[in-house]
Amino acid sequence: MGLYSESPDWADIEPIPQDEGGPNPLAAIHYSEEYSEAMGYLRAVMARNEMSSRALALTEDIIDMNPAHYTIWLYRAEILFAIKADLHQELEWLNETALAHQKNYQIWNHRQTVVDRVGSPAGEAEFIARMFEKDAKNYHVWSYRQWLVRRFDLWEKGELEDVELLLKHDIRNNSAWNHRWFIVFGRDDSAVAGDVIQREMDYAKDAIRLAPQNQSPWNYLKGVTRRAGNPMSSLKDFASEFASIERPNEVRSSYALDLLAEIYSQESDGKLDAAVALDLLAKHYDPIRANYWNYRKALLEQPATAA
Amino acid sequence: MSLVAGPGRGGLGDGQFSQNPKLCVDKHVAYIQSLDQRRDELDYWLTEHLRVSGIYWGLTALHLLGHPDALPRDDLLKYIISCFCDDGGFGAAPGHDSHMLYTLSAVQVLVTLDALEEFEQQIPRGKDKIGRFIADLQNRESGTFAGDRWGEEDTRFMFAGLLALSLLHLKHLVDIDKCVQYVKSCQNFDGAYGVSPGAESHSARVYTCVGTLALAGRLDAADTDALAGWLSERQLPNGGLNGRPEKLEDVCYSWWVLSSMAMIGRLHWIDKDRLTSFIFQCQDPENGGIADRPGDMVDVFHTHFGLAGLSLLGQPGLAEVDPTYCMPKQVVERVLNG
Repeated sequence: MGLYSESPDWADIEPIPQDEGGPNPLAAIHYSEEYSEAMGYLRAVMARNEMSSRALALTEDIIDMNPAHYTIWLYRAEILFAIKADLHQELEWLNETALAHQKNYQIWNHRQTVVDRVGSPAGEAEFIARMFEKDAKNYHVWSYRQWLVRRFDLWEKGELEDVELLLKHDIRNNSAWNHRWFIVFGRDDSAVAGDVIQREMDYAKDAIRLAPQNQSPWNYLKGVTRRAGNPMSSLKDFASEFASIERPNEVRSSYALDLLAEIYSQESDGKLDAAVALDLLAKHYDPIRANYWNYRKALLEQPATAA
Repeated sequence: MSLVAGPGRGGLGDGQFSQNPKLCVDKHVAYIQSLDQRRDELDYWLTEHLRVSGIYWGLTALHLLGHPDALPRDDLLKYIISCFCDDGGFGAAPGHDSHMLYTLSAVQVLVTLDALEEFEQQIPRGKDKIGRFIADLQNRESGTFAGDRWGEEDTRFMFAGLLALSLLHLKHLVDIDKCVQYVKSCQNFDGAYGVSPGAESHSARVYTCVGTLALAGRLDAADTDALAGWLSERQLPNGGLNGRPEKLEDVCYSWWVLSSMAMIGRLHWIDKDRLTSFIFQCQDPENGGIADRPGDMVDVFHTHFGLAGLSLLGQPGLAEVDPTYCMPKQVVERVLNG
């Protein structure tokens, strides 16, 4: 007895029981009855490739119980398009499903398929903001957001401003830093204007001054420097604000010390200073990676190093 | 194979952690065996969409533990073959659509069981069918792969496809140069890789990208020192590894990070003793199994990746694992050289 077996809407369907494949061992199967019944009807309607609103409702019921069942999502998308269902209503439902199942993969490809068909990103920014309230580093959401930017040409439609808000909230959000790079440098391979390079350098430097022991803006700063074709030595004064081998007890950032070691190693008479910086990292500021720092130190011995 | 979490938790029952924990080999074997019998729980059915991968995780873990025959071989083989679909792929369970991830798991299990011939007796030209299924999912323009006929693309699917083809000696069916180009396009300014061009660097995606380069024989295309530097930064003061900057540690990253570092020859940049001790703390010493971090519920996924990580670290008592294939090295050598 259940939701489907007692409903006149489903009287013509004979549910197909689960086939466990191999020989069925030991323990008695005692699947929650609700889920088991719904799956029986799903197998039956999928077997006849039924495209109907009742089948759509059935997929919704099962997805609510188990959103990771990938086969159902594909079937659901086919039904939606076949019966010309209201796609805005689909997005409303998807919003709640995504909020309830943060780690699910399948929702995102489905959403992409639906939004692509709708042909407009209206409402997506608000939905993403709600997702970020729960977890501003959700990898699926960020990947989806990049798809939206490319699909609807949103490069200059508030993305940078939004990233700044997120970073204001959490300066250590590496996902937001990555999105900043994507928006500023990821559009194509063409040269980026000098004033934009300067703006990005200043932005990363300000973030580092707020929290010097934060990996993300250091990576960003070095990335911008390389992208602009400038030598790392152009960052020497800045890095020296946070670390100096003359004052080994006052290092405020292991990343600054790391960068200084790299800069020294490229100077004609800087090998000894580089070795001092790398020793400090190996012994005091980042001992868990001692083997890495020692490797960098060993590279100093080789002619024409590229640390 | 049940993917139900628990019942035990990592660490000791009273929330305390042993100061000198050991690898609990027998407990883990018993734990994995017990999973095959837990069909009376709802979660067994809710995880049906992962079943074939669950078998791969459990079986590989048992091989690494030195108990390769602890699960009934005939039952496993029958189950795997029952997941084969007419299109040449495998679904996660009987009646599920074919998908790249489960096709890889099924091939890994067939190879580990040394059962490819038996598979072909039941499915004539079965290997070629699998090869076709995988090759048809390659996007011949970009080089990357979709996971199923739905078309979602992800570097996981590219790596999974190449790995399965390599085990079947069918790599020639796809355009490998294009795969290498695609991996290069996923490289970020920090030297590591994301899931697609422009996506944030992530240890698990690094594994799929470096693994692709390894299978293509093109590890020279990685920026080795920058990448390994980024990977070594994943180790946190408690010894565990995370997936991205400013995220929590998790036992499964012991695999994604370590295997990548092993493939590019930089495994020694990780503090081995501290990572070993972290994974040990994630074991349930009473009922077996490994959790994502101490205090959480154990499951077969983290048990497998925790043991595979320990194997790469050279843990005595464990068989050697291959860093690219994530299978017992002995098995990989048999199939590649045999």
